[in-house]
Amino acid sequence: MLNIEGLEENGYHILILVGEVDASNSVILDESIQKLIAGGSLAILIDCNELAYISSAGLGVFMSYLEDFQEKNIDFRIFGLSEKVFEVFKILGLHQIMAIFPDKETALSS
Amino acid sequence: MIKLPQINFGKLSLLLAVFVWLALLFVDLVRLFGILNEMESGISIEFTWILEILFFLMVYIFFSDNISRNAKNEFLNLIWRAASTGLFAVAVSLLIFLFYGSLGESRLSQEPFLRNLFYHINFALTSIFLISSAILWKHLILYQKNKRVVKQWQAYELAMLVAMFFIFFNQNTLDYSFLFGLAILIGLGLVLSGNLKWIPYLTFKEKWKSLLFLFIILSTCGFLFVQTQGYTNRIIYPVNLTDNLFLISLFGFIFIYALFGFLVTLFNLPTSSVFEQKLAEAISFQRLSQSIKAEENEEQVLDILMDSCMSASYADGAWLEMDRIDQQADFLLERLIDSVTREGLNALIINAKDIARRSHEKFSTKSNLYEIRINHPKFKSALVVPLFINKSLIGRMVFIKEVKDGFNKEMINIISTFVSQACISVENHRLLNQAILNERYQEELKIAQRVQKALLPTKLDHNASFDISAYSNAADEVGGDYYDTFKLDEDRYVLIIGDVSGKGTSAAFHMAQMKGIFQSLIQLNLSPSDFLIKANSALSKCLERNHFITVSLFLINTDKKIFCHARAGHVPTLHFDSLASKSKYLGLDGLGLGILRNKLYENHVDEKTFTYQSGDTLVLFTDGIIEAKNHQGQQFGFERLRALLEVYHEYNTKEIQAKLIDSLHHFVGGDGKIDDDYSIMVVKFN
Repeated sequence: MLNIEGLEENGYHILILVGEVDASNSVILDESIQKLIAGGSLAILIDCNELAYISSAGLGVFMSYLEDFQEKNIDFRIFGLSEKVFEVFKILGLHQIMAIFPDKETALSS
Repeated sequence: MIKLPQINFGKLSLLLAVFVWLALLFVDLVRLFGILNEMESGISIEFTWILEILFFLMVYIFFSDNISRNAKNEFLNLIWRAASTGLFAVAVSLLIFLFYGSLGESRLSQEPFLRNLFYHINFALTSIFLISSAILWKHLILYQKNKRVVKQWQAYELAMLVAMFFIFFNQNTLDYSFLFGLAILIGLGLVLSGNLKWIPYLTFKEKWKSLLFLFIILSTCGFLFVQTQGYTNRIIYPVNLTDNLFLISLFGFIFIYALFGFLVTLFNLPTSSVFEQKLAEAISFQRLSQSIKAEENEEQVLDILMDSCMSASYADGAWLEMDRIDQQADFLLERLIDSVTREGLNALIINAKDIARRSHEKFSTKSNLYEIRINHPKFKSALVVPLFINKSLIGRMVFIKEVKDGFNKEMINIISTFVSQACISVENHRLLNQAILNERYQEELKIAQRVQKALLPTKLDHNASFDISAYSNAADEVGGDYYDTFKLDEDRYVLIIGDVSGKGTSAAFHMAQMKGIFQSLIQLNLSPSDFLIKANSALSKCLERNHFITVSLFLINTDKKIFCHARAGHVPTLHFDSLASKSKYLGLDGLGLGILRNKLYENHVDEKTFTYQSGDTLVLFTDGIIEAKNHQGQQFGFERLRALLEVYHEYNTKEIQAKLIDSLHHFVGGDGKIDDDYSIMVVKFN
């Protein structure tokens, strides 16, 4: 089960993920990010405080947009990952190429 | 060889008949001449009789051939032929009568030769009428042939033949033998006249027409019979051709059969609709029994079912509602009724249902349908028919009538039969579709398993310095986990384990691509990090957009007792240090393949060389093992695996592998499911 809440704050677009991302609902995440890019957003934040689990399908969604973010100069940040989920990102090596922060304040201040 | 032409019996017998008749006429005229001039004509009466018999036979052969040749052998046509022949004979007779009437007392009217001529004409037409009608009756009697009836008819024909020759014995006197013969023949005719099975098949209109024709036949038959009795003047008519057992009994037969036919048709009129109804029901049943073809669907069968049941019960309105779980809209058919009325009736029915249940009056045990009285201004009775497919209730039909208790037992039974048949058709259709799907699925499964077998190695390369065993389990028919080995030379071996994101067939495809890339690149004797850089470049072109592959690579040198390791985003490998007697994970950075699909990837590749001792063990695995959950939702985790290796390190590779997997299954629980592909490779250095 996945719920995505989108809101806008000071020019940032924030997607709040609640639940689990797996192969059956990763397309929802894909569409949400796609919409923000199409809308011309230049700063996207993903709030993962309520994210319990993410499968390789969900990770695939994020990594597929890395090139787009680079080309369009979009500032993409993730914050609020739980220890277990952050571990998954680390094993994969995504912490070296994605901007990951512990919480919202650090994400906004950097 | 002279080719004989096809003898056309019809034409031949017609010619002969005419010829014989002319001969008869001539002989009689000569005889008359003799009588008038008081001369002995010298022609015996037997000669006339022989000619008469010949005439009968020729007429019989002609009509026999003609009627059976005729394609239009429908009942009404047959009866009309008899009627028209009779009408013709009577018309000619009346014409002659009028002719004489117009002549009055003139000399011409007294002319005996002319009268004799007309007598012969009447005789011929009467015989033609009787014989042709008899043959037509034969077709009607033998409509439903069985041995008994055929034998009876043959006996009758034989008797008739004998009767023709009877004249020789009897000399045409009305004595007991004549009456006896007549009685037998009339009796046989009576027995045959019971065969009226063609009557119910006539439609209502056709019955009225046949009544008319039969009436015509009866009257013309009567008229002609009376007429034959009028020829008693022995002077003008020296030989009585018509006082013949053959002809008289034919009169009787034609008349009796026509009379029976008339009465039965008349009394069948009120009930003819029942038979037509039954025919319609049989046709409906056949339509419902036909298997649903590939292009058709269930709805068409239900459509036919509705119409058939409506006409069987003469309902004034009906509807069918069906719940569909898989589709949004419920299926609904309505006939002669709108949704407002329908909903109103539905409410009334639910109320009345309980009352009917208790009274148990008109329940059909076969399919639980029931009739109830309803209190509606227009409709007074309803028949509710539940529809069961595969023993589950999928919907129902309701029929309504404007009269009270409008559904009798017959209607309920026939509707019950229709419903069973339609439900069977639908069930068969669904089962067939399911079977086709299953077969297709089985085929795909077989293909997938063959593919899976081909992608993982059957033999693992190694030398005497180390042992190795591996195991992989796919979550679906095929999986995205991969492991392989490669012998570079006597002392150097490469081990690889990989995990494609996702599972199922698309993961298996990517796995096959990875295998191809490994098997080709590894021959180039690259270092692990160089291998990964090149592999990433190759995969960047093959991998789908959202997919990546994680890989762990080991290059073992058994001569130097070292191994070089690179890790591309894969779960870290477990190493048991035999000296320290402790197991820990090999830490190494490295980004997964296919994430950075450009030169930047090179900045995220790392490799490290380790030394090993005898007794050291390496466990390579994929994340399916770590992420397997138990009933409480806890993951198996890295720590558990690490601790288990410390416990089991003494065993050989196969045993360690078995023990680790057993522990995994034990953790997940007996009926627990591991929802991802998982693989394990155990290496032990000797």
